[in-house]
Amino acid sequence: MTSGALVVGEVHDGHLSSASREAIGVARGVLAPSDPVVGFVAGAAGPTAAAEFAQLGVGRVLHAADPRLDAAPVGAVAHAVATAARAAGVSLVVAGGTTFGRDLVARLAVRWDAAVATGVIELTRDGGTLRARRSVFGGRASETRRLEGERAAVAVRPHAFPAPADGPVPLALEPVPTDDLPAVLVAPLRREIRPPDGGTGPSLTDAAIIVSGGRGVRGPNEFRIVEELAASLGAAVGASRAVTDAGWRPTSFQVGQTGKAVSPQLYIALGISGAIQHLVGMVSSRVIVAINTDATAPIFKVADYGIVGDLFEIVPALTAEVRRVRGL
Amino acid sequence: MEIVVCVKPVPEAETRLRVASDGTTFDPEGVKFVLAGYDESAVEQALLLKEATPGSRVHVVSAGPSPRTEEVLRASIALGCDQATFVELPASSSTDPVTIARALASAIAKAPHDLVLCGKQAGDDEAGLVAAALGELLGVPDFGYVVDLRWDPASSHLKFQRSSEAGQEIWEAPLPCVIGLQQAWNDPRTAKLPMILKSRKAPIAKVAPGGAPSPPPASRPERFELPPPRLGAKLIEFKTPQEAAEKLVKILREEAKVFP
Repeated sequence: MTSGALVVGEVHDGHLSSASREAIGVARGVLAPSDPVVGFVAGAAGPTAAAEFAQLGVGRVLHAADPRLDAAPVGAVAHAVATAARAAGVSLVVAGGTTFGRDLVARLAVRWDAAVATGVIELTRDGGTLRARRSVFGGRASETRRLEGERAAVAVRPHAFPAPADGPVPLALEPVPTDDLPAVLVAPLRREIRPPDGGTGPSLTDAAIIVSGGRGVRGPNEFRIVEELAASLGAAVGASRAVTDAGWRPTSFQVGQTGKAVSPQLYIALGISGAIQHLVGMVSSRVIVAINTDATAPIFKVADYGIVGDLFEIVPALTAEVRRVRGL
Repeated sequence: MEIVVCVKPVPEAETRLRVASDGTTFDPEGVKFVLAGYDESAVEQALLLKEATPGSRVHVVSAGPSPRTEEVLRASIALGCDQATFVELPASSSTDPVTIARALASAIAKAPHDLVLCGKQAGDDEAGLVAAALGELLGVPDFGYVVDLRWDPASSHLKFQRSSEAGQEIWEAPLPCVIGLQQAWNDPRTAKLPMILKSRKAPIAKVAPGGAPSPPPASRPERFELPPPRLGAKLIEFKTPQEAAEKLVKILREEAKVFP
């Protein structure tokens, strides 16, 4: 498995997403220096994203310009990615492990006959054998899988790898034909995209920092204290089940076994006791901070740093301190 | 509407995980398996659609080893599913999500299926591969991370939202398609005792993985590891809230380096 890799570029807000940038570094990490990394982009935003690929040293970018791909389900894009992977002659496809990237590699498992892994936190190559380590059971364990066969497609967990440094090269954009795209894959229509409930902040599953509130926040109005700290950090806002069950915030805020599983760089838990239900959704965060009045709360067992105290005193001071050091 | 819902048995959330003696997976000995949380939402959605759409039926399908797979099928019947199919797979190939998807697809392709519902992932391997792989195998579109799904008879389209990094996407799709559901947003029902008793005697069709012999698993587990136990939080000592805030921010910037 040494003939190069195709990195699938996903576009967020008109630019190559951070998860796609990280995927470039992952691909390079398992290739010989002479093996090419080729980019893939789709739709109207393709050329801009392709230019950003070239800025990061990936000069050869395959572009499926078909406008139907702009609001199509992932199956249609996967069809074009498989065409591009064959055209580029690669044996590895790497995508960011987003809601798009995970479905994409699942499709490639069948369409491109690849071994696949999602949520990858480490990818290694030993001779011809690729191995992917991934977090399982809500971060309570990890597994290493051997990816067998001639081809592999992996979706790498966002924020688990550094983005590559700039190293601009000239861009060579090549078209990817989509004449054979089955009509059934482009029949569904995406009508609109509403920004995340949290307003202007990043979405929970994409955020590098998350600030979550629990029962200890006491009520829907008091929950603003959580949102103010999040705003100062540029963080997404999360909540425990107690908060969403009580209707203080919508269920889309919920982190945990019955909500979203997250793994940001920093997770700050405010007034959250740490029921197993919540822990399985956030325990794989890189650094966990807990603020709670109860020193015996289970959250302090999984947290890296803790403050035992009244969050209504500590959090405003913390927000002010963050704003001060960030010059806000 | 012919609704197919795919379910998987997973260890219950409170399970104390142990590494199996060969080191490649978790030790299933003594573990209680339950219907995966995301799949509970899929079953609930299937039943809601059936109740809202006269003439509909719900067919629950699972692929995996005996007896835990039959048990989650019975649990689904107890919730109100009409028909159950069990595709028996050895435990060794039940660790590969694509193998599971192929086994499910072989059973689904032989039965009527307008809509296929799955949990968007299972709480054990968290691969989240089955819905999209099923879409590819059945030659239909798939959508993951779906909430708020309903059938619009006037347009003969499913209308739903899916949560992505960009926000809430609003979609309309004709059938057939595969939907991977987000967990718990639809408040899954619990089974009532008479239904539980009835489900114990309900017939479950047992089929072998159909078609050509399945290819060997393309990804094989080699090592299963438990993280070193967390040592517990380093507690910050302070006299005033300001002091606590200053110390924490300093630690996050200089020691944990998670903060610009």
